[in-house]
Amino acid sequence: MSDKIIQVDSLTGGYEDQIVLQNVTMDVIKGEVLVVVGRSGCGKSTILRYLIGLMKPISGRILFDGKDIWQSHETLTHARRRWGVLFQSGALLGNLTVLENVMLPMAEFTKLTRSEMTDVAMSKLEMVGMIHAVYEKPLEISGGMQKRAALARAMALDPEVLFFDEPSAGLDPVTSAELDRTILSVNRSLGTTLIIVTHELASIFAISDRVVMLDPDEKGIIATGEVKTLAEKSDDKRVLDFFGRKTGD
Amino acid sequence: MDGRIDVSGRNLTLFGKFTVKDLSKVTKALEQIPPGEAVIDFQHCTTMDSGIAARFWSFYENRKMKGKRVSLRNTSPDLTAIFDRFEEIDKIPPPFGSRKTLKYHFADIGDKVAESWYTVSGLCTFTSRAFRSLFTGKFRGSMTAYYMEQSGVMAVPIVVTLNWLMGVVLGYQAGYQMSQFGAELFMPALLAYSICWEIGPMMTAVLVAGRSGSAFAAEIGTMKVRQEIDALEVMGFNLYGYVVTPKMIALFVVMPLLVTLANFAGMAGGLAAGGVFLGMPPEVYIAEARKALIPFDLYWGIIKSVFYSAIIAITGSYMGMRVRGGPAAVGKATTSAVVVSIFLVILVDALLSLVFVHLRPGLTL
Repeated sequence: MSDKIIQVDSLTGGYEDQIVLQNVTMDVIKGEVLVVVGRSGCGKSTILRYLIGLMKPISGRILFDGKDIWQSHETLTHARRRWGVLFQSGALLGNLTVLENVMLPMAEFTKLTRSEMTDVAMSKLEMVGMIHAVYEKPLEISGGMQKRAALARAMALDPEVLFFDEPSAGLDPVTSAELDRTILSVNRSLGTTLIIVTHELASIFAISDRVVMLDPDEKGIIATGEVKTLAEKSDDKRVLDFFGRKTGD
Repeated sequence: MDGRIDVSGRNLTLFGKFTVKDLSKVTKALEQIPPGEAVIDFQHCTTMDSGIAARFWSFYENRKMKGKRVSLRNTSPDLTAIFDRFEEIDKIPPPFGSRKTLKYHFADIGDKVAESWYTVSGLCTFTSRAFRSLFTGKFRGSMTAYYMEQSGVMAVPIVVTLNWLMGVVLGYQAGYQMSQFGAELFMPALLAYSICWEIGPMMTAVLVAGRSGSAFAAEIGTMKVRQEIDALEVMGFNLYGYVVTPKMIALFVVMPLLVTLANFAGMAGGLAAGGVFLGMPPEVYIAEARKALIPFDLYWGIIKSVFYSAIIAITGSYMGMRVRGGPAAVGKATTSAVVVSIFLVILVDALLSLVFVHLRPGLTL
């Protein structure tokens, strides 16, 4: 059985008449922490929207566990039940409490009783350090707490893959580092595959197993590999320039 | 040293430091130079910010366009660099939309027609999906009850008050005109009939579109901006079932009740007007109104309100779903939701009235 959980096969996509990604091919290995990096406008968030099935490719395929997610409504629905997504804003439903937000996927897709759902939701919230604010509404808690709660919701159905869109955006360095540790603990303790889109160098160095670098001019991938190797040994000036701020070259 | 300007005939000489604060002084000095060629000497100018430089550059460009040469003399290297940059900027062609040529206007009309077509076709697709999820989706009781409270219970005071006032105004106006030829006894019939057929359902629909249609668009639009809709979609939720259906069901339930209340409030307003302005006893008013109305007249408003419910819930939700970008787009969506809902309500009302008026027993046109 293949160890590739997601395969991107010759993906071309973009917005209206603007192509952002051209013929992109990449794989995601089960259990790894893959970080997608690149300059602003390189298509990081766009590729994430394709990976999570919010946009249909102009051409090419996204395979989840060997099946094209756009093959049918069922394949897309089936794939969606096996992944979780943490959006940049957290995207918690504002009219529900933190606990209700985490219970939401279970209420929709499982036959658990309310008390069982509460137990599961509480355990997820405890895992992300949010047990003290379960009855708060999203707008009553800080941005960092919202992201933790959203992470708990994304983990509610024990997904095989978790996607993160700029998890550090809008957070101070300390909160960002705490969130990085929480994210990493999910991977290490549960073996969940993580795909993270970010340009925060500190996060990239702290949590990535492998990095995929996109470039706006190439409209695709210009480098892939372990972050330290890319930062120190790449012979591509664009890669060195990107990581230069961290390595001080 | 603050800037000083000497103007002598066609020659203008600058001394000292010039910042954007000196703009009016510079403008006055430039206006003193007679039309034609000119010489501007910057030798004694120590500093000049880009705002003042831009004013000199526009003077230079204006004269150049009229075929007159302006000599910019003794410019410092910094100022030369600024003028060079302005020259480069002037070479950049303006964007297509900034030149209002005939081609631009045709393209603009085409864009607007295409946009209208996308809105209409999108609304049709959205309507079909909303109705499909209405029959196939999961029933969400608590959400439906919430929207019933928001759109129904909370709307009762405004619906009753406004319809009562409409009844008073119509009763007085109709009664006064009819009394001119001694026909005020027919006022209750006229009022009861027009309220049950048009005024009650229409006023209620307009009020609900204004209150709830805009609220639906704002709620969904905000969810779009905050990525909550994306989150629901990637979690595998049936968006129509979760976001639209509870609103539709809630309006299907509360609108007929609101219309019924509105009809009675309007007729009560007519009763008050009849009593106060025409001295008509209540029992006479009620008896005359009952003579004119048949049960079909009351059912008719309820039948129409079902159509209005669908229009308001679907249009509000659709406009919310179309939100792209930031909070400003939410404001536009709420406005569009109200305008389009009211337009569609009136359009459908006209069509229904034309088609179904023949169904009323005893009425011939």
